[in-house]
Amino acid sequence: MGVTILQPYLFQEGKGGITAIEYLTKRLISMGAKQAGSFIVDCETIVSLSSSMPQPPSNKAVHILHNSEFPASTFSILDTGAKHIPLVADNLFDLLMIKIGNVYTQKKQPSIESKGPRFEYGDFLIKLGSVTMNGNFKGILIEFEYRPCIVFLNCWELMRELIQGFLGISISSTYPQFFQQQTLISGHQSLKQNDSFQAIDTINQYLEHFINYRKQTTSIGGSTQITGLPLRS
Amino acid sequence: MLKTDKINTSLTAIRSLRSSVSQVFEKLSCGDEATLQQQLQDHFNTITTNLRELESAVNTFSATGPFNLGNTSFLAQETSQERQILYSQLVNSYKWIDKIHDHSYLAHNVLTSNNLKRSCISKRGRIPPTISNANSIQHLESILKECTAQHNIICKVTRPFGSNGVIILNIGRVFKAAIICKGLVMEWVTIKGWDESLELEDLWTESRYQVFQKVQDHCHVAMLHFFSTTLPHVAVKCYMTYLHNYNKLFTDVCKKCGKHLSKGLPPTWRDLRNLEPYHEECWNG
Repeated sequence: MGVTILQPYLFQEGKGGITAIEYLTKRLISMGAKQAGSFIVDCETIVSLSSSMPQPPSNKAVHILHNSEFPASTFSILDTGAKHIPLVADNLFDLLMIKIGNVYTQKKQPSIESKGPRFEYGDFLIKLGSVTMNGNFKGILIEFEYRPCIVFLNCWELMRELIQGFLGISISSTYPQFFQQQTLISGHQSLKQNDSFQAIDTINQYLEHFINYRKQTTSIGGSTQITGLPLRS
Repeated sequence: MLKTDKINTSLTAIRSLRSSVSQVFEKLSCGDEATLQQQLQDHFNTITTNLRELESAVNTFSATGPFNLGNTSFLAQETSQERQILYSQLVNSYKWIDKIHDHSYLAHNVLTSNNLKRSCISKRGRIPPTISNANSIQHLESILKECTAQHNIICKVTRPFGSNGVIILNIGRVFKAAIICKGLVMEWVTIKGWDESLELEDLWTESRYQVFQKVQDHCHVAMLHFFSTTLPHVAVKCYMTYLHNYNKLFTDVCKKCGKHLSKGLPPTWRDLRNLEPYHEECWNG
């Protein structure tokens, strides 16, 4: 399990999603990467409109995600508004959720998924995901994974160089927002960037982006958040 | 091709022998009495020559089967079921021994021409006393203690192969290394990723990551470089410093090209004198 960074791909005007994926595939193959199957990350969200509870009406949401890299696991994240509580369980958890579903006064949000080809370049794993919400194309999320390294801080510069070289954009050297969070490492408060990377961290990043996509009203356009500036038009 | 020729000649020899024998019987049944004796004499001579031809043809065939296994080849004719398996096992082990013999012969040729002689045996045929020192176990551990305290490396010594130690090191949170020692002399290094297991059975397998496979190759080069018969403890100390330098494997940039990546790999080579990082291509180029 190596360090994973998610990077939304900024579209060039007048290009469709399929042409963009084709363009990126060509770039990867010319770099010397080899295609190694495909991947899918999907996300379902159940929102409970806690009407039965006496507390103020805070919308609690349960996000249930699957990642084809971890086919035997179901990831679920309970979003209380203030805090995200992650849970990694066996696949049986899906069946359990069907039963529990009745407890919630549920409002289902549209399911969202990112899928596409995955490539191996040396020890890197690069996945070109087309994000679709209920079948509608929303954008492209590129996942970069450096498998030998487990600490983000150690390989950030190295991954930044790869992403810059591959996408042809400049990326600021400040750490992505996700890795600046506070976390507990063996009982001590520390920054996420020093922590050993885990499967749930990939899922959390996906969720962050999926929520952003859901908030967007326009589908394809320049509204995808990107930290870098395009060098080539 | 040669074999079929041989078979053909021997078959022809058999055929001519049979025909000459049948001619004898033909003459006996309907021959003229006066000349019978003379004719029979001639025929017997032909038979003798034909027989000789056949014998010589048969002798050209080598011993049965591809291997000359001596008396053990009779095992194939064993009647009891249990023992029949022995023959195939015997042939297999013979094949293996044959292969080992070939390989060792080749290895011997290569090693004699190689300059990197690691043998402890000096010209007089004596082993220097430091190598097979009975105190080397404690010695090794005390040296390691010193090195690990200096470099803040987590290290563990196990002895699964009798007195010979296996040192397991954690280099930062970058990789794990196993050094297999013979006394104080390092014999083998295995580099594994942080998430790979490094148990006894994994000591001889390569890491699944390309970067650590490269690092392992470079570590072997360094091991040969630092090797010293007279001062093995210095070699161990130098090597620990060298390995400790790899804790910046992913953060260092190449001294020559100033980049992190070359062909998807970080700078894996370390200059053996000043431990500066280089890409393999940059160093060689």
